[in-house]
Amino acid sequence: MGRRILYFLLSIFLLSAVTFYMARLAPGDPLVSYYGDRAEKMSPKERKWAEEKLGLEDPITVQYIRWLERSFHGDFGISYKYKTDAVDVIKGRAGNTLILGGIGFVLIFVLSLLLGVLCAWNEERLLDRMICKIGTAASCIPEFWLSLVLILIFSVNLRLLPSSGAYTVGGKGGISDRIRHLILPMVVVVASHLWYYAYMVRNRLLEEVRADYVLLARSKGLRKRSIMFRHCLWNMMPSYLSIMAVSVSHILGGTYIVETVFSYPGLGTLAYESARYQDYNLLMVLCLMSGILVILCNMAAQMINEMIDPRMRTAPVMSKSRKSRPPGAAEKADK
Amino acid sequence: MNEILEVNNLSVSFHTPNGEIQAVRDVSFSLGAGEILVIVGESGCGKSVLCKTIMKLLPSTAKIRSGNIRVKGTDITGYRERDMQRLRGKLFSMIFQDPMTALNPVMPVGKQIAEAVKVHQPKISKKELKKRVIELLTLVGIDRPEERMNMYPCHFSGGMRQRSVMAVALAGNPEILFADEPTTALDVTIQAQILKLLRDIRRKLGTAAVFVTHDLGIAARVADRVAVMYAGKIVEIGTAEEIFTDPRHPYTWGLMKSLPAFSKGRDELYTIPGMPPTLLHPPKGDAFACRNEYALAIDYEEEPPMFRVTDTHYAATWLLDERAPRIPADACVLKAADLPDCGKPYPARGVMKTRIKEEILLDVQHLSYTFSIKDKLSVKALEDVSFQIRRGEIFGLIGESGSGKSTAARCIMNICRPPGQGAKGRLSRTDIRKGADIGAARAGRILYKGIDICELRQFRRNKQMLERARQMVFQDSNSSLNPRMKVCDIIAEPLKIQHINPPRGSLRAEAEFQMHYVGLDAGYLDKYPGELSGGQRQRVAIARALIMEPELLVADEPIASLDVSIQAQIVNLFRHLQREHGFSFLFIAHDLAMVEFLCDRVGVMYQGKLVETAPVKELFSNPQHEYTKKLLSCLNDIRYAPTPSTITSY
Repeated sequence: MGRRILYFLLSIFLLSAVTFYMARLAPGDPLVSYYGDRAEKMSPKERKWAEEKLGLEDPITVQYIRWLERSFHGDFGISYKYKTDAVDVIKGRAGNTLILGGIGFVLIFVLSLLLGVLCAWNEERLLDRMICKIGTAASCIPEFWLSLVLILIFSVNLRLLPSSGAYTVGGKGGISDRIRHLILPMVVVVASHLWYYAYMVRNRLLEEVRADYVLLARSKGLRKRSIMFRHCLWNMMPSYLSIMAVSVSHILGGTYIVETVFSYPGLGTLAYESARYQDYNLLMVLCLMSGILVILCNMAAQMINEMIDPRMRTAPVMSKSRKSRPPGAAEKADK
Repeated sequence: MNEILEVNNLSVSFHTPNGEIQAVRDVSFSLGAGEILVIVGESGCGKSVLCKTIMKLLPSTAKIRSGNIRVKGTDITGYRERDMQRLRGKLFSMIFQDPMTALNPVMPVGKQIAEAVKVHQPKISKKELKKRVIELLTLVGIDRPEERMNMYPCHFSGGMRQRSVMAVALAGNPEILFADEPTTALDVTIQAQILKLLRDIRRKLGTAAVFVTHDLGIAARVADRVAVMYAGKIVEIGTAEEIFTDPRHPYTWGLMKSLPAFSKGRDELYTIPGMPPTLLHPPKGDAFACRNEYALAIDYEEEPPMFRVTDTHYAATWLLDERAPRIPADACVLKAADLPDCGKPYPARGVMKTRIKEEILLDVQHLSYTFSIKDKLSVKALEDVSFQIRRGEIFGLIGESGSGKSTAARCIMNICRPPGQGAKGRLSRTDIRKGADIGAARAGRILYKGIDICELRQFRRNKQMLERARQMVFQDSNSSLNPRMKVCDIIAEPLKIQHINPPRGSLRAEAEFQMHYVGLDAGYLDKYPGELSGGQRQRVAIARALIMEPELLVADEPIASLDVSIQAQIVNLFRHLQREHGFSFLFIAHDLAMVEFLCDRVGVMYQGKLVETAPVKELFSNPQHEYTKKLLSCLNDIRYAPTPSTITSY
């Protein structure tokens, strides 16, 4: 466990360093994000003064060390664009993203598993083929277009659902209002990610169904249902969990287009803008957050996988049993 | 005898993009209660398909074309999946070739057995269930069952896994057990144990069994009756005694003669010429005709029916027709004169003395090799191994899997990485994937012509010579040849890498010459390895090694993954090539009979140690070490029929 925490800290440190350098080496003018259009009209003297004020004139390494020092004390600096503490900016929007992305993630997780199993169960039958075809077609539709069509149908024509925002501005309609606002973006998020995970589940399951142990399970008279759920699904779980763990931040933060189209105040837009306009401090916090999230999810997935599959448990367990009983000796012990 | 299983005129075909493959053609047999029927045949002859057809375990591309299967008088040919589920496990169940993959890796073994019990007794209480699982584990000879039932398959050795698979199969007290090559993937000593277990179970439970194998020796050991299959047909069927003492089909003769025991003391192993036909377009007439030296004109025209020899013995060959010419008795099988008596040592080979020179080519001194994982644990793959190979000598290395044979070969070839850089060995893939710190430590020296090849400086100075003079052939030709390269490129690649000007003009000409040399047609030059059969691929691998004119050839289990008749062909080829080239040869195998035939001296490895080294005849006539004795007793145990004298009675 100690080693894991060490790796964790090390990778966070590396991530922060790489992000820090990359952001600063990328072309662009951070002053634009702080001063807006005024930055272009500044005299060299004013520029120098502004850079000094933001601490941008020092070599990058010096800046990085300074940033490290400050962030150790919980001070991640101010967002250049919003002129307030970067963490506060994120706090204001994290809730929205968590609702959209988090629920979206759970939905994708469950639905793709269900769809995958359904397809694998009806392999090469009509249902399977239809789902696969629909999936292929759905994957071809770009997110923004789908969003626009949904808005056109449900907001403009049918006037059933709101077209933008996370809640009615000035409104008082609590949770039901939020849910109504959530429906359309959620549909887009889920619909755009669901298919390839479902495909993956289907194909991995079909691989498992062809494994040798399934023959043994069938020859002992097990029913298809128990074979599929108790044997195949369980065998497939580790790889599915690993994939899902990596995609957490992808699904959670990669909602830029959805957020833009629906004017949904979430982290996706924030992340895009901070990178686009050199809002360094904000960018650092966002990167660290997604980094920590991915690593934590990976660790969780690893732990669950080890519970499922004994072969993934740490090496010593295996080789101990191997070493203490070499093949010949084990057989002799049987006798 | 009361028949519990009857198969009448069964034909099964597979639908493939290339056309129908007729895997089983017009097969009929029956199985009495408590009887063991062994089906013998080469790979691809349809024997596994036959078993799986009866249990309806085939993929949907397979269709029963005709015939019927009757179990206890009930026709189950038309049964649907749901009906079959009720029969499986209870009436018949199956064990498989590879125990490594037959068990679900993420489920404790006990649970997998419990599942099988539960299928047929859904209302069984937890306590009774546990009792039954323990009972089953004890039955198949796994001790400490309470503890072991909660372990996962990856904690078990190969033999224990096969025992567990048997426990699963026996859980529903089936009346028929199908065993699909259950011992092929196991070590010799464990093979013997599993066979014994199978017989014990038959005795205790009265289970009938259909046992599929390619090894006649195993058939002789367990069978009540034997059916010989060729190209999807049963060509001969009869009681074990009839088949082994009075075989009538030429293919059975060929199989018998292919047993290395037959060729003892000869220059070459007997092989059946040619290759089995493809079942995509089975040839007209008798499928075996083109490989049959006694083939008659009618064999190419019409398929022979089953001729009756006795009430229990039938064979499908025109030779049994009354119009057929008499085959002289001596041609049939094994004459007494042909079989040297087993006690007699190997006849001294005349060539041997001139062939082997005194010069020591390879000298392995006190070699130890240790894999260590995460500093805490280490596995000693090799421990103080010393042996020498003289110029022109064939040195055999035998031992069960995991005994360090391959590690030794890799050390000699410098493929094991030097200490400190991590090495891949017989560790599981997960270890490597997890990035465990796998280190390796080596001690001792390997001298090749006096050059210490483990020492980096000396190795570098002689790198070119060493890389040219030593060549290796691997076990699995399927994975050791690049599937995206053409055969001619594969064979000529070493010349290209070493910047050697091909002595015969072009690389292609050189490749063609080598192909010819190993007995392959030049037409294969532009094919890809995937289009070749296992034996042909192994020939390509040998040609690739020989193109460098090596002084030392190392072959790591080169025949283990091949069919019996092909094994013999490859061993003959090795012997022939060694004569011609005079290279020194390190031959690693677990098949004792082949080693006995091919090698001059043999080393026996056991758990990383070289426990015995001796000239081949000495080792086989007078083994010193306990383990060697055990190994040899297994060999004899398996190889000879219950009535060995009858083989020689002709």
